[in-house]
Amino acid sequence: MDNLRSTITQLLSGMTFTLMIFILTLLFSLPLGLLVAKGRMSRNRLLSGATRFYISVMRGTPLMLQLLIVYFGPWYLFKIPLRNLSIGQLDYRFVATIIGFSVNYAAYFAEIFRGGIQSMPQGQYEAAQLLGFSKSQTFFRIIMPQVIKRVLPSVTNEVITLVKDTSLAQVLAVSEMFIAAKSLASTQVSVIPFIVAGVFYYLMNGVIEIGMNSLERKLNYYS
Amino acid sequence: MHVLEMRNIRKSFGSVEVLKSISLDVEQGEVVAVIGPSGSGKSTLLRCATTLEQVDAGTIKIAGRALVSETDGKVLFADKKDLAEIRGMFGLVFQNFNLFPHFSVRRNITESLIHVRKIPRREADEIADKLLAKMGLADKAGEHPCRLSGGQQQRVSIARALAANPKILFFDEPTSALDPELTGEILKVIRGLAEERMTMVIVTHEMSFAREVADRVIFMDEGVIVEQGRAADIINDPKEARTKAFLAGY
Ligand SMILES: Nc1ncnc2c1ncn2[C@@H]1O[C@H](COP(=O)(O)OP(=O)(O)OP(=O)(O)O)[C@@H](O)[C@H]1O
Ligand SMILES: [Mg+2]
Repeated sequence: MDNLRSTITQLLSGMTFTLMIFILTLLFSLPLGLLVAKGRMSRNRLLSGATRFYISVMRGTPLMLQLLIVYFGPWYLFKIPLRNLSIGQLDYRFVATIIGFSVNYAAYFAEIFRGGIQSMPQGQYEAAQLLGFSKSQTFFRIIMPQVIKRVLPSVTNEVITLVKDTSLAQVLAVSEMFIAAKSLASTQVSVIPFIVAGVFYYLMNGVIEIGMNSLERKLNYYS
Repeated sequence: MHVLEMRNIRKSFGSVEVLKSISLDVEQGEVVAVIGPSGSGKSTLLRCATTLEQVDAGTIKIAGRALVSETDGKVLFADKKDLAEIRGMFGLVFQNFNLFPHFSVRRNITESLIHVRKIPRREADEIADKLLAKMGLADKAGEHPCRLSGGQQQRVSIARALAANPKILFFDEPTSALDPELTGEILKVIRGLAEERMTMVIVTHEMSFAREVADRVIFMDEGVIVEQGRAADIINDPKEARTKAFLAGY
């Protein structure tokens, strides 16, 4: 019993990292995804070509590999030694994790946003134009609120995947929950820590689902 | 003075010339009905007049202000500042309403008043409520468009088009997306506006309505105005063979 209690406390401390990765990734990747979507839809061939390539690489290669590349990049590109490297107060391992997750998820969100934006009827733009709304007013007041409602289910899917993907941060030895579970499992010679970790991921996603469902219901004031 | 002045308007899509040098003047208080077969360019004409399409050649003035001008055969469009001002002088009512579904009925009307015309919210609300009352929708101000019938939605969109107090109103088949039993309420609203001497250009397939409410009827076919004149004359007694053939279908 004591064993289980200490397992839970230690996993919970790993969970703070998991949560931080999760929250920071969403914080950066959602707006970045919107920018990438805009770039992808741009009439500028160079910009749309570049973002298209970026999206295909992000979606076509393993996230774990991308994390490693972000992490080792400074060394291979600039010969910056990585041992004990930190940015401000932050361990570079953690920073690289956030960067890697954010640029990866931005690509997925970009495609979701693009689909949502392109599904908007032309008439909405035309009505807005005739009423005198500027391009940015049209986008932020008329288009985006409707797009958010349309893409919410797909965004929820990605968010749930992100919770599980946070465990990939272990490749950079960021002490998130999965790494904690792994070391506990090997000292205790038991699978219990893994099972407890699984329950935690599951609960976290349960909370997310409840939250997103209530958001969806809130946006159901029109159809 | 003409509220609308379109001269020698040409418009092609790819290699297809949809408007072949069309000219149209509309006087203050005049109601013009535009009729013609499908694909004749009626919508394109309205879309050119309302800046939704850019003409290839010709000039357009609304209330004396140049929306499109020509110098040395080159087409010049109004700059951003002029455009913003001229846009307040006309409204367009779409066939399928194009209301903003995420806004309440009232906010559909006030949003541009507040954020484009910079009218204080309270004043904007008053304008909206007055227009909604006029459209018989006073009790719907707080609803979202999806809760309204097609006829009610179209009345909201007319109210929205009227909010900035335009000098001319364009309608592109305002009743075509409606069930037949709902067209009457829209025609009634337009009739009311005609009685108030609102200047209007209405593309319509409702011949009896055109004859009753329009001062002038224009028959278009294949990108040209084939025939125009007093509504009763054109509809009861067309001169051109093409007009006769078209009207025989009604
Ligand atoms: N954006 C566009 N791109 C290409 N062709 C177009 C476009 N808009 C209109 N056309 C073509 O221009 C012609 C005139 O179209 P328009 O919509 O003006 O006709 P209309 O008189 O309004 O017809 P209807 O009574 O069916 O509404 C048609 O042949 C149409 O296919
Ligand atoms: Mg049409």
